[in-house]
Amino acid sequence: MMGSLSGRYAIVGVGTSRFGKLQGVSTMGFTLEAAKQAIEDAGLSRDQVDGVLVMMPAIMGEQHGWAARVAAYLGVEPTFSATMDLGGATACGSVQTAMAAIDAGYCHTVLCCFATQNWPQGVAMQLFGSEFQVPYGDVGAICLMAHIKRRQQYDYGYPDELYGQIAVTWRQHAQLNPEAQMRKPMSLDDYMRSRWVAEPLRLFDCCPNTDGGGACIVTSAERARDLAKPVVRILGAGQSHSSEIIHPRGAEQRSLGGTKAATMAFGMAGLTPSDLDVAQIYDAFTPRVVHDLVAYGICASEEVPEFVTRGNLTFAGRLPSNTAGGLLSEGHLSGFGHIREGVRQIRGECGDRQVADAQVCLVTGYGGAPHEAPPTVSYSALILAR
Amino acid sequence: MFAIEKPLPRANEDTAPYWAAAHKGELRLQRCDDCGHVRFPPSALCPRCLSQHHEWVKLSGRATVFSWIVVHQSQHPAFNGDTPYNVTIVELEEGPRMHTHIVDCPNDQIRIGMPVEVVFDRVNDEVTLPKFRPAKSK
Repeated sequence: MMGSLSGRYAIVGVGTSRFGKLQGVSTMGFTLEAAKQAIEDAGLSRDQVDGVLVMMPAIMGEQHGWAARVAAYLGVEPTFSATMDLGGATACGSVQTAMAAIDAGYCHTVLCCFATQNWPQGVAMQLFGSEFQVPYGDVGAICLMAHIKRRQQYDYGYPDELYGQIAVTWRQHAQLNPEAQMRKPMSLDDYMRSRWVAEPLRLFDCCPNTDGGGACIVTSAERARDLAKPVVRILGAGQSHSSEIIHPRGAEQRSLGGTKAATMAFGMAGLTPSDLDVAQIYDAFTPRVVHDLVAYGICASEEVPEFVTRGNLTFAGRLPSNTAGGLLSEGHLSGFGHIREGVRQIRGECGDRQVADAQVCLVTGYGGAPHEAPPTVSYSALILAR
Repeated sequence: MFAIEKPLPRANEDTAPYWAAAHKGELRLQRCDDCGHVRFPPSALCPRCLSQHHEWVKLSGRATVFSWIVVHQSQHPAFNGDTPYNVTIVELEEGPRMHTHIVDCPNDQIRIGMPVEVVFDRVNDEVTLPKFRPAKSK
């Protein structure tokens, strides 16, 4: 059944708002900027958008009807709309949802978007999280990701230099991206000297806080042919949800959470990891990249250090990845930056950082509720192609 | 300036017996009457067989360290005065894993696989947090 959607839908427009440290701008303001840019990039008129999917703003607390409000501010009356809550897995997840909704006949052209304002006005600082974690000071994604790095290093003996090499590679890519938030050159020494945030997680294992928004537009491949830009078809999509770090489930506890999403996405596309020309891997923290390289079948656990240190993720390597700098250096655009960069690579729009003859791009997403008990995480993936 | 107090558990129907037991110096979790699975976090259903029948059983308090981190940059103002502090995930002898602190042990001597045992940290007249220390007994 899943295979029937492969190649029948396309991402026709991508956009971001201004992003960086921009405290004065509202979450809605960023969302609208990004949405307008994506609509214009597609060469659509606003009135052709009849589906709106928006990621729940994580920092703002309770926001009923968020997606419908985004639609109202855009002057759109959609026939399909939802606020989605997969954290950083929402970007790819919303594209997958858009495909299904269009296929079901609920709408024709879907705007998927998000924004974050890390310092929202008029909102008291809230502490989310479980009564079984927060009293111990286990707060936020940083703590979960530190545990994940600890277990990766314990189970596979990965040196810190592996994680450093990932951060350094993305920083080099960001130097080719004038919009990137973190462009200052970084060496492996700089990484190794960076302070502990939550040991074993160093400062440069972590992405910056980013205020900003992103958007993309999904419609049928048939309609896409009449629009402004080269068609970028969605060949595969997948997602999975699990809590493997703390919720032992017998033999399954050793499996990586993203594996199911990968199997779905590659199966739907009829491709294997060796078919990829470029990848955008969800990298709010460096251990995420290590996870996805294995879960998505790009290399085996024991091969990760050699694969990375030989430069396989650079432009000269086997799989140039996070070509705009990733969340770690371009900025935390919740995966919408990854979709924008993936689409632009396939279109051939990336200028100095264009991967030659990029035909197939993997985009991954990851997010969820790290400080709830059990910490649950969502994995999502798209495979984009000409 | 006012001090920001540390967040403490606010129990609900599913979790109250856990916190009440801890306050009496016992580590108790739900054991499924139907399949015997001991579960954490507390829940209305057994995640293995979906049974709603359970008994709050007293656990041995023995565990091993599954993962540990040392927080250097406080993630919330209430913990600013505590850094660097460890947050450790222990695997209980009965199976479940839970977040806790390791006490009576320097942070740099915590190791994965280290045997630990529960101790009870009475925070106030209502709340006691289970914590773990290096195992003394066998």
